[in-house]
Amino acid sequence: MAQHALDQAPAPASPGAGAPRPGTSPAHRPPGRVRRALRSVVPGPTTDAGGAALYRRWWLPWLWMAPAIVGTTVFGVFPFLNTILVSFTDAKPLGGAYDLVGLDNYTRMLSDPDFWLATRNSVLYAVIVVPLMVLLPLLLAILVEKNLPGIGFFRSAFYTPVLASSVVVGLSWQWLLSDQGLVNTWLQKAHIIREAIPFLSDSWLILLSAMGLTLWKGLGWYMIFYLAALGNVPKELHEAAAVDGAGAFRRFWHITVPGVRQSMMLVGTLTGIGSLRVFTEIYMLGGSTGGPGGADRTLPFYIRDVGLDPLTGNAGYGAAVSVALFALTLGLTLLAQRLTKEDES
Amino acid sequence: MRARRLTRTLTCIAALSLAAAGCGLSGGSGGGDATAGGCEVDQGNVGSGKLSGDVKGTITFQTTNLKKDFGDYFNGVISAFEKAHPGAKVKWIDDPGDATFTQRLVADAQGCTLPDVVNINVNTAVALTKNGYLLDLDKKAPDAGEPFVPALWKSSLYADAKGTKVHSVLPWYSGGIVQTFNDDLLRKAGLDPAKPPTTVLGLFEDAEKVAKASDGKYYAFLANPQLRIPADWQQMGIRILSADGKTFTFADDPKTAQWVEAMTRLYKNGGMPRDSLSSTQDPANVYGQGKLVYGPTNPNFLRFIQQNNPTVYKKTGVARFMLDDLGHTVGAPQYIGVASTSKNAATALAFAQFLTDAKNQLEWAKDPNVVIFPSTTASLDDPFFQSVEGDDPFARARKIVASDRKTATADEIALTPGELNAISAQIQLAMQGKKSAEDALKEAQSKANELIEQGS
Repeated sequence: MAQHALDQAPAPASPGAGAPRPGTSPAHRPPGRVRRALRSVVPGPTTDAGGAALYRRWWLPWLWMAPAIVGTTVFGVFPFLNTILVSFTDAKPLGGAYDLVGLDNYTRMLSDPDFWLATRNSVLYAVIVVPLMVLLPLLLAILVEKNLPGIGFFRSAFYTPVLASSVVVGLSWQWLLSDQGLVNTWLQKAHIIREAIPFLSDSWLILLSAMGLTLWKGLGWYMIFYLAALGNVPKELHEAAAVDGAGAFRRFWHITVPGVRQSMMLVGTLTGIGSLRVFTEIYMLGGSTGGPGGADRTLPFYIRDVGLDPLTGNAGYGAAVSVALFALTLGLTLLAQRLTKEDES
Repeated sequence: MRARRLTRTLTCIAALSLAAAGCGLSGGSGGGDATAGGCEVDQGNVGSGKLSGDVKGTITFQTTNLKKDFGDYFNGVISAFEKAHPGAKVKWIDDPGDATFTQRLVADAQGCTLPDVVNINVNTAVALTKNGYLLDLDKKAPDAGEPFVPALWKSSLYADAKGTKVHSVLPWYSGGIVQTFNDDLLRKAGLDPAKPPTTVLGLFEDAEKVAKASDGKYYAFLANPQLRIPADWQQMGIRILSADGKTFTFADDPKTAQWVEAMTRLYKNGGMPRDSLSSTQDPANVYGQGKLVYGPTNPNFLRFIQQNNPTVYKKTGVARFMLDDLGHTVGAPQYIGVASTSKNAATALAFAQFLTDAKNQLEWAKDPNVVIFPSTTASLDDPFFQSVEGDDPFARARKIVASDRKTATADEIALTPGELNAISAQIQLAMQGKKSAEDALKEAQSKANELIEQGS
């Protein structure tokens, strides 16, 4: 049957081109329509040898890459360069002309205690969230890796928070953590606490709760990464180690972890970048001031406050802080890579 | 160094190499005889002298998210206008009004393509007037203010590029302000719904009684100071901004510290939910759950409660807003502006005036889907706003607000979101007992001043 289906492949569009000419495999020739189109723009001989030569033109790979390159440049590289440029100006959303102000924005930034508070919060976020986000999804993946009956339900359940919108998740967490919310009510009913824990009015607790939210929402996503990686760890190694008397922990540490090392580095980098960009979690739990007194503001929060108002924002200053955030992200990523490399050697 | 040319060249080189149109942040082109906001405009649109020209040609008219519910009304107004002025055509654009709406509007203005007639709020009116994107009505249409409530018209003034306060917008509809409360809970706290407070600090005194009686089961109102600033202060007669609008002065008035202390006391005594200090909770929802004594102050909220929590609605009482030292309410209406970059400014102005005239405003206000109050004197006297049947809170609120709107002014202090956040953050610290009221206010004022200095 299968053979027959192949025989029924669509007939070539142009008459006469039906039977392959000797020495030419149709697979290596562009479809007739493309060939004709190319012929009309490329002067010169139109023999098959010429057609093949066409594919060896130096610019052809660039042509294929052009859409991606243009997209990246217009929406990635250009805004990036423009941000750096704007960070040396006093640009505003309205008002047209703007002046170069040299390093003014940067000196203002370095002398603003609010900037340092936001930096501290962002770095703290990364330092606490990244290790947990590298480890916990791995454990979760090991838990649901085996094909047991009904395991699909648990995999889906762990993945569900990923699909929910941040705002919905944020609202649910508000209800969970409020003074009369589920967590406090339960703890009070169980006589573990008497007064409600101020999850949503103490600045440290807001920050920790936001980290919890990020972790909870990210677990399922990175679990998928690890599930894929775990599939590549040779089963034989585990079996051999088990035969040699290695316990579960030893096998995890000496076989699983080295096996998914690449994924761990990837997850570490991605969550590192993500946790420096946290905004929604803080906003949902700490409100638009970023916690009481603005004590939970992260760098993106600070950028929004100083630079993103569409009418009165200071775009120049906002750009300067964005550049600082970029430098911080790049710095931490490089540092992490360096540490892992040293570890390896 | 004037860097406009340099940056523009650099940006354009980058842009060219990417085949991208537009040059980043640079403004409109200069040159030409008449300019406004960096755009070349018709000579007649700027300078002195009344606007002249025939009412004809095509103009664009932009509203924000109104087509879905009020398409028929607007299409009716537009066709009536076109019928009265043969040769004139109005192209209606309804922006969805999402999070990037203001950015789009600003981009339009910068690109010299602001819609000819545009619906804007007070913050946008301030920014567009300052940058010259709106027609100066004092010069171009000196009698434009006639149909409007005098108090409202006199206060709808915004500073132009030179700092002169001018009329650049026509007042349209507003939402109004009114006290709302849960009668049952008020009585439980030993308060008389028939004797609502008449001052802001009087409200706090009543709220203290609520705190004492409630035992954490219900509250006076939510704690987040953002919900009460700057309305409370303005009502108390506190001078929030200097006359030139360049520095904040609220911390210099001892009454502001009294207000912060009242907030702090009430928060400490349990008159407000502790977890609402900085939260985004919507007071309308919490009131609807029967957990708040005092509800939000916009009459539109009554309609919301009526639909979502009919039991609580029936217990809801209304009263005139605390007029306090100010003696009248404040609330900037929605505005209609005419672009100074309009190619058919005479037509645009004629349509803006037609849209905001007494007849058209009243017709819309009568739509059962809206709770809005017209800005024209003649409309507010209409029997529609005066009739109260039975004890319906909504109808009573409508009557109270319609009478208040005759003395209400538009000089609401329009804090930018950044300023509001900076000020509120400090007051939150005071309410948590981490700072004294005076220190918090001083810090709030200096941070807000820094934002003015750094902002536009």
